Amino acid sequence: MVTTEQAVKQPVTPEEYKSGLKPVWCPGCGDYGVLNALCQVYHRLGLKPEETMIFSGIGCSSRITGYLKSYGFNSVHGRALPIAMGAKLARPKLNVIAAGGDGDAFSIGIGHFPHACRRNIDMTYIVMDNHIYGLTKGQLSPTSPHDMLTTTSKFGSIETPINPILLAIGCQATFVARAFSGNIKHMVDVITKGIEHRGFSFIQVLSPCVTFIGKDQFLIIKNLLHYLEDDPDYDPSHRTSAFHVADEKDRISVGVIYQKKKPTYMDQLEILRQNAASKKKKKLADLVEIFRP
Amino acid sequence: MEKRVLITGNEAIGAGAIAAGCDCYFGYPITPQNELTAYMSRWMPAEGRTFIQAESEISAINMVYGAAATGARAMTSSSSPGISLKQEGISYLAGSELPAVIANVQRGGPGLGNIEPAQSDYFQAVKGGGHGDYHVIVLAPASVQEMYDLTMLAFDLADRWRNPALVLADGQLGQMMEPLIPHKMSRKRNLPPKDWALTGAKNREKRVVKSFYPAIGELEEYNKHLASKYRKIQRRETRAEEYFTEDAEVVLVAFGTVARLCREVVRKARQKGLPVGLLRPVTLWPFPTRRFEKLASRAKAFLVVEMNAGQMVEDVRLATSCRLPVSFYGRMGGGVPEIAEIYRRTRKLLMAVSIKAAS
Repeated sequence: MVTTEQAVKQPVTPEEYKSGLKPVWCPGCGDYGVLNALCQVYHRLGLKPEETMIFSGIGCSSRITGYLKSYGFNSVHGRALPIAMGAKLARPKLNVIAAGGDGDAFSIGIGHFPHACRRNIDMTYIVMDNHIYGLTKGQLSPTSPHDMLTTTSKFGSIETPINPILLAIGCQATFVARAFSGNIKHMVDVITKGIEHRGFSFIQVLSPCVTFIGKDQFLIIKNLLHYLEDDPDYDPSHRTSAFHVADEKDRISVGVIYQKKKPTYMDQLEILRQNAASKKKKKLADLVEIFRP
Repeated sequence: MEKRVLITGNEAIGAGAIAAGCDCYFGYPITPQNELTAYMSRWMPAEGRTFIQAESEISAINMVYGAAATGARAMTSSSSPGISLKQEGISYLAGSELPAVIANVQRGGPGLGNIEPAQSDYFQAVKGGGHGDYHVIVLAPASVQEMYDLTMLAFDLADRWRNPALVLADGQLGQMMEPLIPHKMSRKRNLPPKDWALTGAKNREKRVVKSFYPAIGELEEYNKHLASKYRKIQRRETRAEEYFTEDAEVVLVAFGTVARLCREVVRKARQKGLPVGLLRPVTLWPFPTRRFEKLASRAKAFLVVEMNAGQMVEDVRLATSCRLPVSFYGRMGGGVPEIAEIYRRTRKLLMAVSIKAAS
């Protein structure tokens, strides 16, 4: 039996935030980088495992919930966001993180994404984007590039991929960022900022699939990287600039692409509750009297 | 000798669908049926047909709904959790009386379960699955050849009865390879014209596809019409295979993968001179009730074997009006019954009924 004391023992090193379960990911998978980065973020922010809950859907990357010492909920395919939102609304003091892959987020689960963005519930969504379905062995993903060959696009994809960053900014997300699995130190900074942000933060992590796309992905992406932090002229509060960065074709910008201060859902809900309480002139007993035949 | 190909069960469903003239296939990745989606991606375009990997199972079944409404032969496939997602669409297809084919290569449940073979979606398949009073025609293949043949048949039954038809397989049948004879579609099928299909109302009255009957009493009349159609399907489309049942005292009842194991049990028992037979429902809905009624008058006991906690066994008890003992043996969550264990239970049951008969 696990005693309460054991269950809530505060990790003192990043490594101690790992659950000890051996990941099923292929050797070289980008998702290891995300797991290591998250442990460092937890450590840097001193997050208590018992006050932190990570939600995922289905897919290779969604296994991440099992590898962290915080509470984990490996839920339904595509439904990480509504389940995470439900938990956050019921327990606003929990640190809520949702995580998963591009299929989970932008294929079956895409219907939930715009609503999570526009509601601005204080939580963080990390999408490990590898442009392919790995768990089911290499099918087309909604972020697969045009022309990509997969087991379900045997003659090359004829569809236009979704641009998650454009989508998030367009759907009024208040924090939109991109990181790369090949640079953990930078990813730690980005995810830390995302968790610290008050409101919905969306982070796309380019996390290559070495099995179904190839190891060279790490090098290809690395050579295209552009660090927004190094650009003194870039202003992440400027929405038009953010759209521009999101639409780049010749390079891949990483870092905080867009950030805006805005009341969170819970902030507004608190005001709404107070308004509703003050306008509640009639008590239930009075109403019974009014409608008495 | 006829041409044979070595092929997985999942691919055989795809090959059967293409041979049956499937115009549109809409899939979504889920294990253990991915080979079927990959097969359709490879071969549908070459035949001038349409393949799409939809964004979800819900999208796929609704693409089927749209394609079927235009009179196309449309199909989707998935495995258990994905089939749960499709239930709303299947209910609408049944409610709109549209033909469509759905393949469920079952895996363990409930919830995410696992990716191993199971038969735990029997209730969902034969009792309706979604909301409202309806049935889908359910076919249960037990070999790679039947994955092909029954998929072809499913398209014809769907068209004949303007009703969704479901091929209920499992992960084992989907993944295993066997030689397949790829028959051509028969020409003498005599299907009704699709005089309800939405093809553009040029030079004719418009047609309406709907499942909405809001006026008082209107829906009840429509439900009566559906119920009468289901009774006709029950009378005409029941299929079952019997193996050494003529003089059997203990009759094994199984479908799909388990029926293969039970067939081996019967073969072994007959070698030892034991009166054991097998009744294998091929259509799970309509259920072969009359075959059970007949057998119940001469057999002494039934042993139902399934890869679930006991689902078809309820229909066997109903079909036999509990006139004779119906035992059950099942494995769950990816467990496959072993031939030796089924044999042991069969012998035990046989001894029990013999002792009872002697006393």
